[in-house]
Amino acid sequence: MTISLAVPDVVVARARSGDLEALEALYRAFETPVHNLALRILRNPEDAEDVLQETFLEVVRSIKQYRGEGHLWGWVRRIAASKALMRIRRNQVRATEELHEEAAGDSRLGGAVPARIDLERAFEQLSETARAVVWLHDVEGYTHEEIAELMGKTVSFSKSQLARAHTRLRRMLDHEGAVP
Amino acid sequence: MMHCTMDDLLALQANEGSVWAKRHAETCPACRAELEALYQRIAQLKALPVRRPARDRWPAVRGAIRAQQQRRRRRWGAWSIAAAAGVAALLVFRPFWSGSVDAAELAQVKQQSATLEAELQRYDPDSRVMSGRSAALAAVLEDRIAVIDGELAQLGAMAAQAHAAQLVKLWQQRVDLMQQLMSVRVTRASYVGL
Repeated sequence: MTISLAVPDVVVARARSGDLEALEALYRAFETPVHNLALRILRNPEDAEDVLQETFLEVVRSIKQYRGEGHLWGWVRRIAASKALMRIRRNQVRATEELHEEAAGDSRLGGAVPARIDLERAFEQLSETARAVVWLHDVEGYTHEEIAELMGKTVSFSKSQLARAHTRLRRMLDHEGAVP
Repeated sequence: MMHCTMDDLLALQANEGSVWAKRHAETCPACRAELEALYQRIAQLKALPVRRPARDRWPAVRGAIRAQQQRRRRRWGAWSIAAAAGVAALLVFRPFWSGSVDAAELAQVKQQSATLEAELQRYDPDSRVMSGRSAALAAVLEDRIAVIDGELAQLGAMAAQAHAAQLVKLWQQRVDLMQQLMSVRVTRASYVGL
């Protein structure tokens, strides 16, 4: 997804002073890309909307620290990604992802998987962590180093998650018998 | 014959492939096809439709911002006045409420919230330092409190009798969060005397 969002400096300055109209302008400018990122990673619309809300509360609290270095969207996106990853961690506490993934993986990658499903559905069937890594790396353009920092993991963790996720995607998307 | 692994293909896609992988992909039709499929998958992921939120969350965000701004302005001391006003409002609206919701319960939970606010203020959180993790946790808790404050502000504008049960629930959630925040502030911060 290519984002070319330009927010006038004057709006950012007014937002810094707590002007509600300016804050709404920021919210309107970024609500869709933030929601899209969160939804792609978390899949659950409720969670995605909560992340959207949490992201903007953080934006409001931290806007004074934004020095105008780099694109504003990059700064907001980092907050959104961090909030989405925080929610993944919270979800993982509730239900052990490994168990979920293992159980789901058996049916997803075995013979029960339809011969061909579309990429969007296949992507949604990945684990939350795998979706986060794939989306941040392949779509948002984050490096493995940046993903590792955001997730509090190692670079090799990010790389291996990406490779495993693509292997699964490939299997799910393959035509029967088309795998070389 | 050894083929490229997914790691090799991803490295090639990122222009970081090994010499062996580059040479192999040039001569092996199967691996070339895999690499092409990888490029296509990534292109298709980038082209997935953008999903807009189903509901407008701005009113809730605005409510939370206003509540935060008011909190900052009033600071902590004014909460006792708010609690007293709440008790007075309860006494006025109590006759309209259903019997299942005890107005005293609401007054009590509001008082608990005010007490915790006062304790936090006495503790002087701005003069203490915390680890990044604790600060992040405190920030999350403060966010959630702000969200609840926004919801309380929205409910406050509506007819009190229709939302009494919801008010009690929200105030209870607020107290729980305040207790967690207190725990983070007290147990994980250290005084620096600023």
